[in-house]
Amino acid sequence: MDGNYLLQQMINGVSLGSIYALVAIGFSITYSILRLINFAHGDILMIGSFCALFFLVSLPLPLFLAIAGAMLCAALIGVLVERIAFRPLRSASEEAMLITSLAVSIFIENLGIMTVTAQPRKFAFPQVFSHTYNLGGVSFSNMTLLTVGSAIFLMLALTFFVKRTKLGKAMRACSENIKVARLMGIDINIVIAAAFAIGSALAAVAGIMLGGQYGRIDPLMGFIPGLKAFVAAVIGGIGSIPGAVLGGYALGLFEILLVGLLPVDYSGYRDAFVFLLLIVVLLLRPNGLLGSVEGRKI
Amino acid sequence: MSPARKKIYTVIALAALFIILGVLNNVLSSYHMRLVNLIGINIALVVSLNLTNGFCGVFSLGHAGFMAVGAYVSAILSLPLAKKAVVLPNLPAWLGAIEMNFLASLIIGGLAAALCAFIIGYPVLRLRGHYLAVATLGFLVIVQVVFTQLQDFTRGARGINGLTQYTNVWWVWVFACLTVFIVWRIINSAYGRGMLAIREDDLAAEAMGVNLTLHKLLAFCVGAFFAGAGGSLWGHLITVINPLSFSYDRTFFIVVMSIVGGMNSITGGVAGAAVMTVIPEMLRNLEIGVTIGSFAIPPLYGISQIIMAVVIIIIFITRPKGIVGTREFSWDLLHRKASKQTLEE
Amino acid sequence: MKKLLVLVFSLIMVTVLAGCGGQKEQQASQSQSGGDTIKVGAIYNVTGAQASLDGPSLNGFKLAAKEINEAGGVLGKKIEVVSIDGKTDQTSSTNAASKLVDVDKVVAIAGFSDSNYALAAGPIAQKAGVPFVTSGATLPSLPDQVGDFFFMAAFGDDAQAYAAADYAAEALNAKTAYVLTDTAMDFTVNLSAFFEERFKAKNGADSIVLKDTFKTNDQDFSAQITRLKALSTKPDLLFISSGPSECGPIVKQLREAGVTIPVISGDGFDTPLLVELGGAGANVDTYFATHTCLTSDAENVKKFVGAYKAEYGRDAENAFAALGYDTMYLIADAIKRANSTDPKAIRDTLGQTSGFKAVTGTITYADGKRVPQKSVSILKVVDGKFTFIKEVTP
Repeated sequence: MDGNYLLQQMINGVSLGSIYALVAIGFSITYSILRLINFAHGDILMIGSFCALFFLVSLPLPLFLAIAGAMLCAALIGVLVERIAFRPLRSASEEAMLITSLAVSIFIENLGIMTVTAQPRKFAFPQVFSHTYNLGGVSFSNMTLLTVGSAIFLMLALTFFVKRTKLGKAMRACSENIKVARLMGIDINIVIAAAFAIGSALAAVAGIMLGGQYGRIDPLMGFIPGLKAFVAAVIGGIGSIPGAVLGGYALGLFEILLVGLLPVDYSGYRDAFVFLLLIVVLLLRPNGLLGSVEGRKI
Repeated sequence: MSPARKKIYTVIALAALFIILGVLNNVLSSYHMRLVNLIGINIALVVSLNLTNGFCGVFSLGHAGFMAVGAYVSAILSLPLAKKAVVLPNLPAWLGAIEMNFLASLIIGGLAAALCAFIIGYPVLRLRGHYLAVATLGFLVIVQVVFTQLQDFTRGARGINGLTQYTNVWWVWVFACLTVFIVWRIINSAYGRGMLAIREDDLAAEAMGVNLTLHKLLAFCVGAFFAGAGGSLWGHLITVINPLSFSYDRTFFIVVMSIVGGMNSITGGVAGAAVMTVIPEMLRNLEIGVTIGSFAIPPLYGISQIIMAVVIIIIFITRPKGIVGTREFSWDLLHRKASKQTLEE
Repeated sequence: MKKLLVLVFSLIMVTVLAGCGGQKEQQASQSQSGGDTIKVGAIYNVTGAQASLDGPSLNGFKLAAKEINEAGGVLGKKIEVVSIDGKTDQTSSTNAASKLVDVDKVVAIAGFSDSNYALAAGPIAQKAGVPFVTSGATLPSLPDQVGDFFFMAAFGDDAQAYAAADYAAEALNAKTAYVLTDTAMDFTVNLSAFFEERFKAKNGADSIVLKDTFKTNDQDFSAQITRLKALSTKPDLLFISSGPSECGPIVKQLREAGVTIPVISGDGFDTPLLVELGGAGANVDTYFATHTCLTSDAENVKKFVGAYKAEYGRDAENAFAALGYDTMYLIADAIKRANSTDPKAIRDTLGQTSGFKAVTGTITYADGKRVPQKSVSILKVVDGKFTFIKEVTP
């Protein structure tokens, strides 16, 4: 095995990891405030990619406007889902919220099958993005650059937002302790809506990048990335944004490297190894890689 | 009410249940009997899940994984020899020569699932909350992948088919009643009190001398045993098992049944299983497409799942702890209600 | 708030119950009117992971029923298609089969594109003595496993895999091959096994240089492609055993990574998605073995293609649409020849089907076999169009 081979697989892994990271961030933000495991998050990703397809093909909008439009639509739907399905359940148990998110996911997926049919759709970016560079045996495309670049840009923007803006600070306060934050005069409804909007917009970008890389989207495309993002968020320490990013990249790299480095006879065991690693990580660090140790009630 | 009297009531109720089932078995079409059987299997699966998730507070998403282990083990053990030679020609010789009766294979399937629960549970059960949920989900994925890859034992994605349809109303309902009885005995024993204490506050429970590992493992393994045996019953009802039969969908569906009914109550488990088995079949009538002549009523496939999703959300908004909540059926309760009614009259 | 929700909830339940009641009344009125329709059941997984295969099958099936009814029906009666969603779930699928047999009392059942569901639902029809024709499941041993009421409308995986292997060895001069298999579907696993068997028989035991795997709904094949490119001896041929959803992305990613070795596959590739998603990549030496060439000039093929487009406003999504269409005509033909709606009689005439001209080839059940002898077409992608290369009769 030569260095190029390894490097190539690493590039593939970083590209996949960027997508997981974008989805995992949304997962973590809503979890940190509401303690909600949102299985419908992956379906927001699907909605985002379909919106982008609509803007690109039916309206012909320029690419970046289409992405922005899809982010806006996904954010609106995210907020709507929160308002209708999750807000009435604020006081319910975590398990009830989890099942509600599953119900929302079933709702969105079947609505998708009914309206746009289950057939995969072609999702093509302008030709420039499939241009491939070849540097000493290692190849990567403009699409890879766009995926990794937009992921990093959005993460930096999010960090700025959370650290510097008033709403961002309110969000951090809520994730520390939502009751105290409320007593301090923070309107938690706005904070929660903002969390859903941001998470959904990031998921939409992830959906568009997934579609762009693999050329197809369908109504059920969101479930697996959603689940993987959940895993990534947990590896990183659920509730922590840097943790979600780290978890996403770790999972992406690990998945690709396992398929690439395992002998062929064992590459079918990929998912088993991924989850085995996950269990081992959790046993060594029961609160994830970057998770904070939660205060226990005594 | 005296305990002896309660016992008599229980025996009478059980006898009545089985007489009714016997009558139904002769009256209903095999489609409706199939639903009755599915309700029974789901009751066993959900009540056993409630033991771990609801009573012990160990939130597991691995139930379908244990079902898979039970179903595969019992299928391999009970497959008729002639069929086995064709379907699984590469089995080790000793395994290829075994043809067990269904009861034995069912029990061994359950034990195998319990053993898996012990192996995975011993390290993993110290995790808390969602971390534990993800770890058990991981177990489910690992089981699925291993069964897909172990071609010689499982035929991989092609699955094992042609299982004898042993499962009938008696197997199912005796098993369901047994599950309810054993779970009920456990939660009313000292072990059960320990489990409830762990769910409420594990630190306090430990301080009071409750052995956390022991109690959690017990709940986890007993839950897995019934899941495994239930998986075996399911497999021998459907007659085909493949790794995709025991996927995320199945695990989530059992969890949904459990939480919709009320996961902190056996009665809740029974109610959840019954309601969630029957409603989707009823909703089906909304999406049967009928084409007569050139006149077609377009069926809206997916509408039943959408309505189901809305119903679930509404149930949680109106009853955040599930249909039954934390209450439990008992003869005392029934007695009180009955006497209250007579008083009012 | 709570009261409102309870109200909404009860409204929904009332609607559902009313729906059930209405359904029953409808059924009652039908049976009272002396049964002027012939009920044919259809179980397809139109929601869930199988939906992209089964949806088009059901569309084709219903289209055929509509055409038959417009032409006057069968035995003077209209055909009524009772279709139930299998939900890509074995429990639902078996419930559906049981309901069709026990409650709706259909005379025959059609359905499924995957043997795991056909194997679950088939025995229920077998037990009840109702013929079951699977339109898309292609495991050749299916009818033997289920019983004498079970028929296949498509050729077995062996036929298409052998045809692909023969064509690769003879026309493409392939001496070595690489095999990429979707291990999550039984169809793709079987297809690869049959291909390897035939290819090895032709080119020796060492002729398969690498066997790699992926799983349905994987979208990233970069790891497999990187490994393929790292092989010291380049294979002459890539056998890609995938379903319709993955074929486009695989071919696209292969070609974008600079791999130009010829690709061959089975009917999983027979979908416009190959070109739509595969883009320019699909134009590079891509072949597949399938049922028929939908761009052919044959009268019945042209009729099907036109009728499907007219009915659904889009081209047939994949080969399963034509198979569903043929299955309805196959069943109608058997009913006609039986001159009866007795399921047993229909089974008997179905088993005697010989030289039945279908869109996907001529169907004959010879020597009591219930897997049809059908010809296999080899197609190639040329300028984004499927082009007929040759027809092989096994």
